[in-house]
Amino acid sequence: MSLSAKARLQFMKDLGLPAMLRLAKATKGKRAPRAANPDFGPPLKCAARLKEIMTRHYYLSRFAPGARPVAWVTSGAPVELLRALDFYTIYPENHGALCGAQKMGPELCAAAEEQGYSSDLCSYARVDLGHFFSGKTPAGQLPKPDLLFCSNNICQTVVYWYKVLAHRLGIPLVLFDTPFNYGEITEANIAYMKEQILEMIPVLEKTAGKAFDMQRFMRLAELSKSTSQLWGQCLETMRARPAPMTIFDAFVHLAPVVSLRGLPVARDYYEILLAELTERVGQGIGAITNEKKRLMWDNIAVWYKVRDFAELFAARGMNFVAATYTNAWAETIQHLDMSRPWESLAKTYSLVILNNNLKHRLGLMEKMVREYSVDGLVVHSARSCKPYSLGQYDLKSLLSRRLGIPAVVIEADITDYRFFSEEQALTRLEAFFEALEAA
Amino acid sequence: MSPSELISRGEYFSQWRGGGGQVCAVFPAQYPRELLWAHGVLPMEVWDPPLAPARAQGHLQPYICSVVRQGLELFLAGGLDDVGAILFPHTCDSLQNLASLVEDYLDPPAPSLFFYNPKAPFAAAAKGFYVAQLQTLERELTRVFGPQPPEGMARALEWSRRLSELYAQAYSRRAAGELGVGAAEFYRVLRGGEYMHPRDYIPLLEGWLASAPANGGGQGQGIILSGVLPSPPDLLETLDELGFRVVHDDLISMSRRLLYPPPGEGDPYEALAESFLSMPPCSTRGSSLSERLEWLKGLARAGGAQGVVFSVVKFCEPELFDLPELRRGLKEAGLPSLVLEVDVNQEVGGQAATRLEAFGEMLS
Ligand code: SF4
Ligand code: SF4
Repeated sequence: MSLSAKARLQFMKDLGLPAMLRLAKATKGKRAPRAANPDFGPPLKCAARLKEIMTRHYYLSRFAPGARPVAWVTSGAPVELLRALDFYTIYPENHGALCGAQKMGPELCAAAEEQGYSSDLCSYARVDLGHFFSGKTPAGQLPKPDLLFCSNNICQTVVYWYKVLAHRLGIPLVLFDTPFNYGEITEANIAYMKEQILEMIPVLEKTAGKAFDMQRFMRLAELSKSTSQLWGQCLETMRARPAPMTIFDAFVHLAPVVSLRGLPVARDYYEILLAELTERVGQGIGAITNEKKRLMWDNIAVWYKVRDFAELFAARGMNFVAATYTNAWAETIQHLDMSRPWESLAKTYSLVILNNNLKHRLGLMEKMVREYSVDGLVVHSARSCKPYSLGQYDLKSLLSRRLGIPAVVIEADITDYRFFSEEQALTRLEAFFEALEAA
Repeated sequence: MSPSELISRGEYFSQWRGGGGQVCAVFPAQYPRELLWAHGVLPMEVWDPPLAPARAQGHLQPYICSVVRQGLELFLAGGLDDVGAILFPHTCDSLQNLASLVEDYLDPPAPSLFFYNPKAPFAAAAKGFYVAQLQTLERELTRVFGPQPPEGMARALEWSRRLSELYAQAYSRRAAGELGVGAAEFYRVLRGGEYMHPRDYIPLLEGWLASAPANGGGQGQGIILSGVLPSPPDLLETLDELGFRVVHDDLISMSRRLLYPPPGEGDPYEALAESFLSMPPCSTRGSSLSERLEWLKGLARAGGAQGVVFSVVKFCEPELFDLPELRRGLKEAGLPSLVLEVDVNQEVGGQAATRLEAFGEMLS
């Protein structure tokens, strides 16, 4: 790492970034405020803080190369190992969501398709490869990685995708191979994952140019744990009637626990968010003004439709109060235990929803339906994501039958709206609304 | 032996079951066959059952590949009702979820068994883990089918070694132009190993290799056939009709698992683990692109191929992700390529034939 790059990063942190944020605020002040939608309660105050944190993260990332080792990381990888070695981490999936929300999905996917990548591939991967080939991003610029850190606990797709990046960039790819849990997690699986962690540390040290500090790792792992726990508590506030936020808010407020887990800024943020949500519950302030029905969402967000869907459902007094997706970053953190750091890290990351069998998913959703008093289920069949989507048709029927709640499947994609038929989705949703209202 | 003597999957299955033999249905792709043989169990692989898709549509989205779709169709049509167990190796996201769908939601008529293949880049820990997987599968097989007979494993390893030799012979003779059969016959015979017990299959393969003419195969352009499996059948017939010489393949169901180094002596589990870890590179095991590229170039060099035909199953992520970089690397090495997207149960048809013909002309 070079001294001048370090000095530049520090300078941007201390002076450049605050100036940039002031400028952004001043520009925003001149824009006409969006008219308030009477279907929604008052917006979350800490949304502005969230925006600042994420802007800061992406803005500073461009000054990281040379000053800090840079890693591109999959959303389910044990990032705590990288934090202990001071890696600056970029999450291409989070960047994909950002591009999706900014409606840049098709443009970036097309850039990947021009290079031969099939339009049938996961669109997070296509967006990322499209960015890689074209340099386009709503984040200004992403730093080139020194290392790729990938765990297949969410899908095998990330392995195929990161292999392409490793090949193009000629940099190391570190894989954390997490055997799928067809049933209960086994001791053999835990032992395999533990051994891999021990093997990968020297590789990470080499790229970072420094030794792994166990004490620091344990501190950061605790920080990561408390961040995820706070996030879990934020989600639990949605058990209240009316729920103080919608799952569409949660999709957005999820960013720090995904991308900044293990850093104080993320934990501090969720303390603020939790305080605000608790206050809203105490005052009976709902995310929507007239919460009549409570819904659960399955799968990743339809990023280009978050706002439209929020409005569509709020107008009918329907609020999403739970989602398997947002829950994923809180669900397994209780396993993290610094008295058995490696085994517990392995368990925490192996037991996430997408690395677990469909029986587990069914049980989890049944539990969530009860705990969050859910009246109906919306299943997003995401063309991009086979591990999240294959099995959903049966999952939907089983849940609906067992719990006697209406359920609907909408066919869409996470970022590539060329594969979304609004008309078809609305037709299905209209039938769902009728069933729900009649229930 | 002439290929016309090769009996079909259905017939063989009935004969085997009629004789009181046990069967384990196996979904793609790599799994330790030796362990099943050691228990006297016949592995019956499910790759592309020729059924009209009907029931599976209600369980799978349209963006799921036809290998998974056809496999589920067979299951739903009752085609697996008479097996003793169903084995799901971990191959890709779609097969992973298919396994869980069947086991957790569809009430299978036979016990489900699972086998996780570690993914590359292999950690040093992968070998020990593979051995532990073998031990678990062994326990499961004992629970379902009873204990191995004495010498069961030793015999299985002998079969495995012999088959490894025979496969290598078939491939090297073909690459050297010393096996005068077309692609349709070559794959019809080699696919016998997907459903025949080695006790019957080894003599059949030996007989075929002994009687196959040394020349007389396609005389046209030499190609490598890459992709998932040699299907649908009309693709192979088209290649033969157009006079292509398939000098080698890089198919998941074929050379990527058949050209395995034979298991060595010593501890059988260690030997099987070593054999697995040294198999040819494969997308589903996470092999690096440079490894795959070098492998493909090597195959082309050895057999004098002038180009590569990628026959990719639609929606197959492992293959589709590797494709652009492989094609780019092959092009730089002077090897043009053609991509055909196929559904295993649908004929490739005239349009593919036209494209193949044009590709052949371009190569000449
Ligand atoms: S959307 Fe699904 S397939 Fe794509 S990276 Fe995420 S988990 Fe993997
Ligand atoms: S064709 Fe591809 S996606 Fe389908 S089962 Fe085989 S490896 Fe998986």
